[in-house]
Amino acid sequence: MSAPQKLTVSEWDGHYAELRRAGLREPAYGGSLSRHIAQEGDVRLQQLRFDNSAAALRLWNFLLTENQRLHEARRDGDKIVGAMKDLGTVPVMAYSLPRVRAFYPDGAWWTPCLMECSDGLLQQAEALGIDGSFCPVRAMVAAFQNGEHFPRPDLLVCSAGSVCDDFSAIAQRLERLGHPVVWWEMPRRREPDPGEPACVLPGGAVAPSIQVECVREELQQVAVRLGELAGHALDDRLLSDGIRQANRVRRVLGRLRALVYGAEAAPLPALEMLVAEMLAIHFCSDREESLEVLRGLLAEAGARVRRREFLTTADAVRVFWVNPVADLRMMNLLEDWGGRICGSDYMFAHALDLIPGELPPLEALARTALADPMVGSTQDRARRVVNDCGAHRAEAVVVCRIPGASHCAREGEVIREWVRTRLGLPSIELEIPPVCDAMLPTLGSRLQALLETARENRKWAGRTTEHK
Amino acid sequence: MTSRTTISAGIDAGSRSTKVVVFDAEHSRILGRGLVDQGIEQDRLAARLLEQTCDDAQVARAGVTKIVATGYGRNAVKFADTTITEITCHARGVFHLDPEVRTVIEIGGQDSKCISLELGGRVRDFGMNDRCAAGSGRFLEMVATRLGVDLAALGELGRASKKAALISSMCVVFAETEIIGLLAEGVPPPDIAAGVQNAIASRVAALVGRAVTPPVCFTGGVALQPGMVRALEAALQSPVRVSALPQYTGALGAAILAAERR
Repeated sequence: MSAPQKLTVSEWDGHYAELRRAGLREPAYGGSLSRHIAQEGDVRLQQLRFDNSAAALRLWNFLLTENQRLHEARRDGDKIVGAMKDLGTVPVMAYSLPRVRAFYPDGAWWTPCLMECSDGLLQQAEALGIDGSFCPVRAMVAAFQNGEHFPRPDLLVCSAGSVCDDFSAIAQRLERLGHPVVWWEMPRRREPDPGEPACVLPGGAVAPSIQVECVREELQQVAVRLGELAGHALDDRLLSDGIRQANRVRRVLGRLRALVYGAEAAPLPALEMLVAEMLAIHFCSDREESLEVLRGLLAEAGARVRRREFLTTADAVRVFWVNPVADLRMMNLLEDWGGRICGSDYMFAHALDLIPGELPPLEALARTALADPMVGSTQDRARRVVNDCGAHRAEAVVVCRIPGASHCAREGEVIREWVRTRLGLPSIELEIPPVCDAMLPTLGSRLQALLETARENRKWAGRTTEHK
Repeated sequence: MTSRTTISAGIDAGSRSTKVVVFDAEHSRILGRGLVDQGIEQDRLAARLLEQTCDDAQVARAGVTKIVATGYGRNAVKFADTTITEITCHARGVFHLDPEVRTVIEIGGQDSKCISLELGGRVRDFGMNDRCAAGSGRFLEMVATRLGVDLAALGELGRASKKAALISSMCVVFAETEIIGLLAEGVPPPDIAAGVQNAIASRVAALVGRAVTPPVCFTGGVALQPGMVRALEAALQSPVRVSALPQYTGALGAAILAAERR
């Protein structure tokens, strides 16, 4: 068992050969990391460094073979559902049905980053009427049109209403281009009026019962469409079982996050944890396998913690990270510069919470969907970030932005203000484009300055404690 | 030449120039400082400047025992013992020169920064504008070229303004187009120069946010421009002090932090 370290793709090739000689057992989608560059053109992988465990290799291979898996599913006669904008609700419903699998077409926004724009998806999207003033999710439009990535889904489901303007425009454009969409309405979550019947949502937010009922009815319609697709009604029994299975994934992910983020130093890298967390929202087109992938990571992290072998030093600055990055290198660089992730809100904090098992299944899903941090007020999101920062003993906060994304123009500043006034923590807002080569020095300066400030705070806190 | 055991150096490898400060930590005083325009071989340039500064200060180069590099080119200064960001270094340098300061505005050649300090000089928070040159010295350079005057003369030109022109603070490229238009309309160059200063100040004020904690210290090369202080005071609606060594606060902070490192 080798000590934890981060390897480049070429270093991984040598390591892979060693693991194979030592009897590495892999799933069908296994293989070397470098093949994804040769076969798929994911050249950005050359600039990343990856955890050296077999569990991490499995995670990456699982992630990077998703399109292949979807094409195989199509050949096998499975029905494919594209669950758009929705973060973690419709996939739970789809996987409740036999021979139906959901995927997350929005995830195509990472493709230009991985391929360093060599596939021309962003330019094609522009030609299709969605230009650079929109967020990189616009890559999805081109991926649908050119068919070179994922297969055309049998059913497209997309939430509307309280979703970001960019996404709404992109999804509507997609429909006009000949990809019919089943829309379901997500109301903007509001505080209950005094005396108004209300429900507690997963994660602790409260919403009026009438809003939960509204979302439940919307999801009921989605359930009918999914049942028609599968030729098998999506009843409460199937749905309850689907929720149980989804919660198995969420439980393992919850244990993984608690272990990795709570450890004295990082037993797994920030990059792999980001990818692992993403599995909660879409299962990477295979729910059961995503569970196995997460179990592998949990076992690896547990073994490292027991051996006290880590990828960062114990004095690495504990950073709470808000929103995902477009250029994955930032997660490597955070650790290179002396930080580590101690908690995260990658826009889908609600998908990490368990779906209430004691409620009727559609109501449970409605409450979960309504807990989405993106459908409530920015203050609600900031409140949760502040609570999580406290619980995870964060020393600094990074709020990340993606050029063109317009979830809320002032969201970063609101979150930073809450963090500053309630916790006294330093924070920064970073805008990270899909390929940030030219901006790396300035991004580096900001991130390093944040870590220096947090370290200085640590020293001052030590002095204050000494004086007491 | 004198030889001391507690001499440190700070090197601020900025986008427009490299600055060096040689510092005697034992007596808490600056022994020498130097500045040279930035070039391609930043490491050699900085090394030569350090040697020159040591010579001028009559300090043996070998006596400089600790060196910290800061600025955009800090990683290119290979002979430095370590690197520290401009935020931390400017904060430390300003605090050394003026311990009362609670807000630091630094406008350099390539970017601008706002740093909030706690009592005692610790950085509480910071903001940086580096997405567009609209809040930086580069904006002034562009305008000086367009108006056909030296950069040093631009501030004086602005002082003669009767009515500052309104110029966009969001984008230097758009602003240049606006300036061409203003010149074509016959707007006097002093009004354009003053308008550009206001645009930079407005951009920086947006970075600072609503609440400015005084005293405010203005540092960085742009602080030397006549008229900029007035523009900044108007934009911030707060008095502004100019650093005693505006171009050297980053290097000074780096030198002090070098001395403090064990």
